[in-house]
Amino acid sequence: MKKKPINFVISGLGGQGILFMTKILARTALHKGFKVMGAETHGMAQRGGSVVSHLRLGDVKSSLVKAGAADFLLALEENEAYRNLPFLAEQSLLCSNKSSGNFPVPEVEGYLSNASIACHSIKAGSLAFELDAPMSTNLALLGYFSTLDRCPFTLQELRTTIEAMSPAAYKEINLKVFDKGARES
Amino acid sequence: MNEDFLLGNGAIALGLLEAGCQVVTSYPGTPSSEILPEVVRLKKADNLKTYVEWSTNEKVALDNAFAAAITGKRTACCMKQVGLNVAADSLMSAAYLGTVGGMVIISCDDPGPHSSQTEQDTRLMARLAKVPVLDPATPQEAREMAGIAFDISETFGIPVILRPAIRVCHARQNMKWSALTDHPAKALFKKDPMRWAATPKFRFRLHQELNRKLKNISRHFDSLQPFNGHNLEPGKHYPLGVISGGVPYAVIQDILSDAGRDDIPLLKLGAPYPLPQNLADEFVAACDKVLVIEETDTVIEYLLRDRSKVLGRLSEDVPLEGELVPERIEHIISQVLSRMRLLPLNIQAARDVEDLVAGLDLPIRRPTLCPGCSHRSAFYTIRKTRPKAIFTSDIGCYTLGLNLGAVDTCLDMGAGITMASGLYHAHAQDEVQQPIVATIGDSTFYHSGTAGLLSAVYNDARFVLVVLDNLTTAMTGMQPTPGLGIRADGSQGKTIPLERVIKGCGIDFLEVLDPYDIKGMRQTLKQAFDYTKKPDGGIAVIIARHPCIIAYREQAVANRIKVTISDDCIACNHCIERFECPALYHDPVREKTGIDQALCIGCGVCLDVCPKGAIIEMNIK
Repeated sequence: MKKKPINFVISGLGGQGILFMTKILARTALHKGFKVMGAETHGMAQRGGSVVSHLRLGDVKSSLVKAGAADFLLALEENEAYRNLPFLAEQSLLCSNKSSGNFPVPEVEGYLSNASIACHSIKAGSLAFELDAPMSTNLALLGYFSTLDRCPFTLQELRTTIEAMSPAAYKEINLKVFDKGARES
Repeated sequence: MNEDFLLGNGAIALGLLEAGCQVVTSYPGTPSSEILPEVVRLKKADNLKTYVEWSTNEKVALDNAFAAAITGKRTACCMKQVGLNVAADSLMSAAYLGTVGGMVIISCDDPGPHSSQTEQDTRLMARLAKVPVLDPATPQEAREMAGIAFDISETFGIPVILRPAIRVCHARQNMKWSALTDHPAKALFKKDPMRWAATPKFRFRLHQELNRKLKNISRHFDSLQPFNGHNLEPGKHYPLGVISGGVPYAVIQDILSDAGRDDIPLLKLGAPYPLPQNLADEFVAACDKVLVIEETDTVIEYLLRDRSKVLGRLSEDVPLEGELVPERIEHIISQVLSRMRLLPLNIQAARDVEDLVAGLDLPIRRPTLCPGCSHRSAFYTIRKTRPKAIFTSDIGCYTLGLNLGAVDTCLDMGAGITMASGLYHAHAQDEVQQPIVATIGDSTFYHSGTAGLLSAVYNDARFVLVVLDNLTTAMTGMQPTPGLGIRADGSQGKTIPLERVIKGCGIDFLEVLDPYDIKGMRQTLKQAFDYTKKPDGGIAVIIARHPCIIAYREQAVANRIKVTISDDCIACNHCIERFECPALYHDPVREKTGIDQALCIGCGVCLDVCPKGAIIEMNIK
């Protein structure tokens, strides 16, 4: 019996750094010895539209996560979290940025608990904004995600990848935002 | 040894260079755009001599690659699937002539479609042109197929198409590779006018030769492991088998393996055309029924000989349009199994989550021009100046002028101009003076604007043409244009300004302006309309030039202006609906428009948009 793959869906809006976030996760996984397949959105949808990327760790042939088969949904925006709920498997985990105090809305909360889907959220956007890095919501959310028990990577593993992948001018601020996200847990 | 988590398009670039490809030409278009830049990156890393070019369009790219291939070199041209339509004239003829060196045509499909005007299937173009086609399932396979394609091309003397779908182009996979080296072939063109300049009589013979080649390639494909093959157990008979290739094949492998269904055999056709008849016959003979799941159109299904056994689109088991995403494929297979009274797949009980999400009334996220995009101010001004005009437009970021009500048509590359011409004559025939404004981007104009403009001038059409010049090919990822003169490898080529080309097309009214200046542009537009109505007038052209705010972040907004909303705002939503800047929103608390300072880039154009003058500069007393 082959080992079950780990499926990620990462969602948000064009310009929020979905691709960078996916790359960080992918590289960390590669370092840990996983086989990795990813699928990205390019082109017209990048102009402010909904953007989704898929990441699959393990022995898989296709880069696409099947609806109902994601172990993790990382969302950079509330509505993009809701929109991609059908990807989540039962007993999976949702980790989302939120801007309101009303996340998730009651009907979604009910659904998540019925399907035993764990829901974790932080105000990653305002956190990044406070550090004067509004484009780094992705890193704040990743920092937070890294502290969750079910995250397949440790905080240090993700941090090392971010350090290696960030351009020199952004290294310090990127790590700062990531660390702040991690402290929110 | 190099290692990288490469994009599928990077894997294709790697496969080309590993095979010693010496010439790569391309015109950008999603999902193909990254192939050439990846070739450039890899070639520079290993100091290769590979010749690369952004051609002005796909036909030019194909012709150039073909010419180099008949000197004995290995060449490739890359484009999106609709780009192959532009290059079709060249493709059909090149198939007859054949090649000397290996030639690979990479045409990337976009089932969905995600970023295209059609969902057309390049494999059908391969059939039409009578050239072999390879259909990779993963980036790694695309890399391997790019290499094999050259061998096939040289063995049979025929161009080969590689058609990765978007899920291969924009998938990522880890790759390792050794240092790349240049191929030693030197250009050696052997004159043979009977072939290279064949007249119809010789074309008939070339056609015969082409058909012979296809027969031989079909046999070659019967044993083209691991791209073509099946997992039948000898002597066993099956109630249902599945035939697939490309991306759906990878998905089906995962689905059947997750479900533990080794009772369903699978025929993989990574090289579907010319169909490996013997291999296909062998598979079909071992099954009562075969279900063909292929993307995006019907190719394999039509070519199978035993029609009585085939299930697919003709039997309405597979949808005729849309991407075959995993859950859809799972559903298709399960339905067929149920209908045949076989054990269906164990699909998790349908959950009500789709209904739940639908009920949330989530905002529809349509793609939008960026905050500060100069196309927005151009469209706003055009519409404001002549709201009743017909707005013909074209393909690029600026198609999103739709959101501002300033785009009425978008047909194909270059049609902003040709549709304007056609609409003019349709109305003029009835003696109706219909104002028409055509818009086209700079790269699209170089791609296919001139032939349409020449024809429109020659035939005395009357309209205003606004060339939206943001000094780059923005939508596909900031490729340079002839207007910039920068070449694919970053070196400086010759700059060919739009002004020179437009004047060369016979245009006498040409103004260049910055569309950030709404008042100035209105004035010029009015003059332009007047000119189109004069008996001795003609087509008026305005170049609306402002650098793309993504490509030229600093230059695009030299002086950042912080804007705010004064108490004069009456929440009429004119700015939100007509100007449609993502930084403008309705603030329900203040009951006025709000400015999202995180999105606003301070272009200050909206200062001229509010009818009440309520959008004002901050810190001005």
